[in-house]
Amino acid sequence: MNRPLPLSLMLLYACLLLQACAAEPPLRDVQQSGPVDFSGSWEVDYSQSETVAQRYESMIRDLQREADRRARQGGNQPAAGVYVAGSGANLYALARMAEIITETQLLEITQAENGITIKREGNFALTCEFYLGRLHRVETPLGDETCGWDGHQLVFAIALPEGLSIHHRLTLGPQGERLQIATTVFSSQVSYPFTLDKVYRRFDPSVDGITCKQTLSRGRVCTTEQSP
Amino acid sequence: MILLRLAFVCMACCATARAEDADGQHLPVGDVVLEQRATAEHALLDVGVVIFDAGIPPDSSTHGALGIFPEIRRAEARYLPVLLRKTLVDSNMWGAVRVLPETAVLPELLVTGTIERSDGRALRLAIRAEDATGRPWLDKVFLDETTPADYPVAPGVDPYADTYRAIANALLAVRDTLSEQDLQDIRRVAFLRYAASLSPEAFAGYLAGGGEQAYRVSRLPAEGDPMIARVERIRNQEYLFIDTVDEQYLSLRDEMAETYNLWRQYDRERALYLADYEQRAADRGSQGRRGSFAAMQQSYNAYRSIKIQEQDLGELALGFNNEVAPTVVEVSGRVFRLNGTLDSQYGDWRRILREIFALETGLQGSQ
Repeated sequence: MNRPLPLSLMLLYACLLLQACAAEPPLRDVQQSGPVDFSGSWEVDYSQSETVAQRYESMIRDLQREADRRARQGGNQPAAGVYVAGSGANLYALARMAEIITETQLLEITQAENGITIKREGNFALTCEFYLGRLHRVETPLGDETCGWDGHQLVFAIALPEGLSIHHRLTLGPQGERLQIATTVFSSQVSYPFTLDKVYRRFDPSVDGITCKQTLSRGRVCTTEQSP
Repeated sequence: MILLRLAFVCMACCATARAEDADGQHLPVGDVVLEQRATAEHALLDVGVVIFDAGIPPDSSTHGALGIFPEIRRAEARYLPVLLRKTLVDSNMWGAVRVLPETAVLPELLVTGTIERSDGRALRLAIRAEDATGRPWLDKVFLDETTPADYPVAPGVDPYADTYRAIANALLAVRDTLSEQDLQDIRRVAFLRYAASLSPEAFAGYLAGGGEQAYRVSRLPAEGDPMIARVERIRNQEYLFIDTVDEQYLSLRDEMAETYNLWRQYDRERALYLADYEQRAADRGSQGRRGSFAAMQQSYNAYRSIKIQEQDLGELALGFNNEVAPTVVEVSGRVFRLNGTLDSQYGDWRRILREIFALETGLQGSQ
């Protein structure tokens, strides 16, 4: 990653920097929840999910092509190159962040009429309350969360210090057996966001014969007996 | 004479309620030693500490700005009264001290509280107490602040123990102003108010006052009145249930303490981190590190950690609230199986006791 960037790519970054305001779209007004129910247990489907490396290389190729095209059209713009060298590193930083953020392999989703909780293995749960189509906002000293429905998709937007923002967009597949989560990582310092699509497939956690539940006194209790 | 004594008690309350500085800010309780002294048996009033008001504003959009995590606050509303109960018990200055799921006419001295602030840096509780006659004992805000020496919290220790000691001492100061006759009146009124709650028809005539006025005994039941024995038996059954409930609250404390203290420690560290972070952010200026992987990772990890902490504790509280094992109690040869939260179980239990009382006496119970 420390190789000098080609001039064309540097030019493209320079162009993108000029469009920085468009990097993080605001979460639109939400619509009422449709008949979409994400409830259930989900495990990552590697065959249909992108990897960070694939996505990063794909982005680099696209950027290269675009830079070449712009270079052909606009000629050299030497002043921009110095400025964008760091942006290449920051794009890579975004990719690394996306890898950390999307590392969850198992999801357990409970959804009710007015709310949803998405428990993510090894990570914090995403929670959202949806009343009357309003956006749900939670502000904490270390970051703000906004969530709501965008048509049939559920969107979470997390704004963190250091100019870092994370959007998760959940879409249920046509048969309800696949769940796609498009995670986009934005940085105020990088004009181009990094998006990673992960696909999860539904599974039955009781198939292995173990049923677990959270209790107060004994923590997570698992049993081989089936729930009534 | 009674009026004079009441006025003195109120003055004592008002004096203690002025623990504010010139700007109206509440002053920390500081280091407090729990007062203990020889106490006659008759002075040992039974105390009920009601589960605190969590102090959660209804507008959820304000919670973040106020640093309120509703699930944790709800857990604290159950956890903190148990700590106060323990302090009152440790003082040996009181009779039975019980944590109650809701306000009841059962205890001789009732303590209620609202959590105004609770985090790793400070605890602010608005505490009220009044005895069964309606005499106010306490209406005061208690503030306690932690120091770095309070963390990590050693097992069996609470960083805000001074708060509970200050509350216990304040209650004791009021009790010291009461005569033996006052204490006896409190006990009698408590019993008759409980009896009247079972059957107003049979017992309301023994009491005068109520509402804005203090309750007082207008006449006493006859010696050996069988109704009194029934009331005592029903009251003992209610105590039995409350004691069962108390065991669950004690379990909550035992289970929560470690995680909760970690939460508070983390909260304090988070506050220090934030202050430091703001300083660093200001100092960093144009150093160009904003947007680096290290900076983003730090930002994300801090947020993830606090969310996980919040959710772990929230799950613990939820587990307590939602998974209360059915409580089986045996009374008068009948077994009642109760389900649901402690609050609803207590409500069910009181209704059952009133039904039993009405059945036994043929009198209409209160609704």
